[in-house]
Amino acid sequence: MTTKLRFDPVLLLAVPAAIYMVIVFAIPVLWLVARGFMDADGFTLSNYIKFLSEPFNWVVIGNTLRVAFWTTVVCLALGYPTAVALARSKGAVQVAMLIAIILPLSVGVVVKTFAWQIVLRRDGIVAALLVATGVWDEPKLLLFTEHGLVMGAANVFLPFMILPIYSVLKLADPNLQDAAATLGAPPVFRFFNVALPLAMPGIIGGVSIVFSLATSMYVIPSLLIGDRFQTLATLTGRAFLLMRNEALGATTATILLFLAVAIVACSALLSRGKGDSR
Amino acid sequence: MTEPTRLALRRRSFLAGSLAGAGILAAPAIVRAQPKEMVVGGASSQQTWTNEIMIPAFEKKYNIKVVYEGTRSLVNLEKMQKNKGSQYLSLVQMDDPVMITAVAEGLLTPLTKVVPNAASLKPGVTHMEGMWVNYLQPWVGIAYNTNRMAAPTSWAEAYDPKYKGRVILPGLQNTEGVMNLFLASFLKTGKPMAEAQKDMDAAFAKLKEMKPNLLMAYTQEGQAYNLLEQGEAFMVYGSISTLALARKARGAPIELAAPKEGTFSMPSGVALVKDGPMPEMAAAYIDLMLSPEIQAQLAAATYALPTNGKVPAPAGLDKLVIHPIDWANVSANRASWVTRWDKEMSL
Repeated sequence: MTTKLRFDPVLLLAVPAAIYMVIVFAIPVLWLVARGFMDADGFTLSNYIKFLSEPFNWVVIGNTLRVAFWTTVVCLALGYPTAVALARSKGAVQVAMLIAIILPLSVGVVVKTFAWQIVLRRDGIVAALLVATGVWDEPKLLLFTEHGLVMGAANVFLPFMILPIYSVLKLADPNLQDAAATLGAPPVFRFFNVALPLAMPGIIGGVSIVFSLATSMYVIPSLLIGDRFQTLATLTGRAFLLMRNEALGATTATILLFLAVAIVACSALLSRGKGDSR
Repeated sequence: MTEPTRLALRRRSFLAGSLAGAGILAAPAIVRAQPKEMVVGGASSQQTWTNEIMIPAFEKKYNIKVVYEGTRSLVNLEKMQKNKGSQYLSLVQMDDPVMITAVAEGLLTPLTKVVPNAASLKPGVTHMEGMWVNYLQPWVGIAYNTNRMAAPTSWAEAYDPKYKGRVILPGLQNTEGVMNLFLASFLKTGKPMAEAQKDMDAAFAKLKEMKPNLLMAYTQEGQAYNLLEQGEAFMVYGSISTLALARKARGAPIELAAPKEGTFSMPSGVALVKDGPMPEMAAAYIDLMLSPEIQAQLAAATYALPTNGKVPAPAGLDKLVIHPIDWANVSANRASWVTRWDKEMSL
């Protein structure tokens, strides 16, 4: 059997999007990456050496990854069960659930973060509830803390976790679980050996999307934690908008891009390896 | 079946292409056809009062059309840099630090000799031998929630432990945030304001003492006022009169205190573009802007202090001292201050 490369005209359908993305994304990103490796004399690594030799910048990288990690964890913990319930539901219930998940996407990030401000403030609902139930002795500050940021970010990104998992689970045969049960698999075994592997492509998709969004978020931290907590994204924004320091901005942006791509690629590779051995 | 479709597409794209081409050709023609049109470069935040007060008054007096290009100071600078030799802006309203750069690059021409009203300006608002003047002084005070606290009288008050978690600072990305460094240095050392601006070690040492009292540091002022008006924050430490008093006028339960140590004002410069079109008209525009009648109107509309000495300050503010800021020092060091802020003021 010869594998002859035959041109499929249907592929042409992707040409407009490809041209569009090359102009608005690929060329600017390449320029940006190249800019980080340039100074007045040409190629250089000095921008990176300068940035990475400053201990505080490692704190910034740590901030970025830690917040993105916990945001992804919260989204997964809340999103996976929701996606299972959504895939299992039918009719009006499913429509209502889908609306409840998708409708918040139409509310802008700024509006959402302002709503969080009201919910999380000292005389807000959450603090009142915690005091009333005796968890707290007195109202404390939830706003403008890392916990508040993770809660807010997870709220914004949750649909991006639920929807990919749901779309995968929807296609899986619901009888597989029952089949495993009739063959004597206990619930925990069924979860790890049937349910989870079936959902894995969706989980990888959701984790990749949420993690990438969370490493690069800019508006959410600037509103939910403010100017006293820097991430790579806020440093990049400031380098370009305030300091007009293209070299610094290109460096931080490239590090951010590298970290996001590397972690997403690693998680995909890891799970694929696992899938093959199955 | 496919042929006519393709043909139609080609016709349509041809039509679109030629329309776009005609647009490009037509634009300069329109500009050329209107010789009596003067272009003012400014900030978009100044658009409202320019449209409502300045332009109607000027057009009525001189029968000439004014086009206001509202953008940002640095964009105006770029416009002048790119059009050196064939400037199309006649005058510019820019922030003082950007004016310094423009002077260094030879983009401005002195205005004091051709603008009669510049002679009645208050001391301290004419810069670099008349290269630019401040047309208003939006002053910076402490905005506080009137339901939560009494009027603060001193900049030192925000350090009081009773305001734990209740104070909002502007970040250093905002110009009013930079002024907090000078105030902190002044409070720490007691040096005169001009010297205090140079002592950043004292500034950061003092500002760090405020950390327990900080609710947050903002980059978006709308959020800060939101928290203040809800009562979550008691004060915004470093609040611009133009913003705070406009919100108060709309019914927010806030007031802006003018501390006894005096304060600073936000940059608000106007300058003549060197070799810009219609130099006489441009000078006349600035002269009108600095005239007592227009100054009174602008000050009322923007809640800023007038810079013309003949116009009285708003009630209760006649004794408010506005300390000058060494903007060259700010421009040269701001990036390093921002980096230091990140480290020393972080959560």
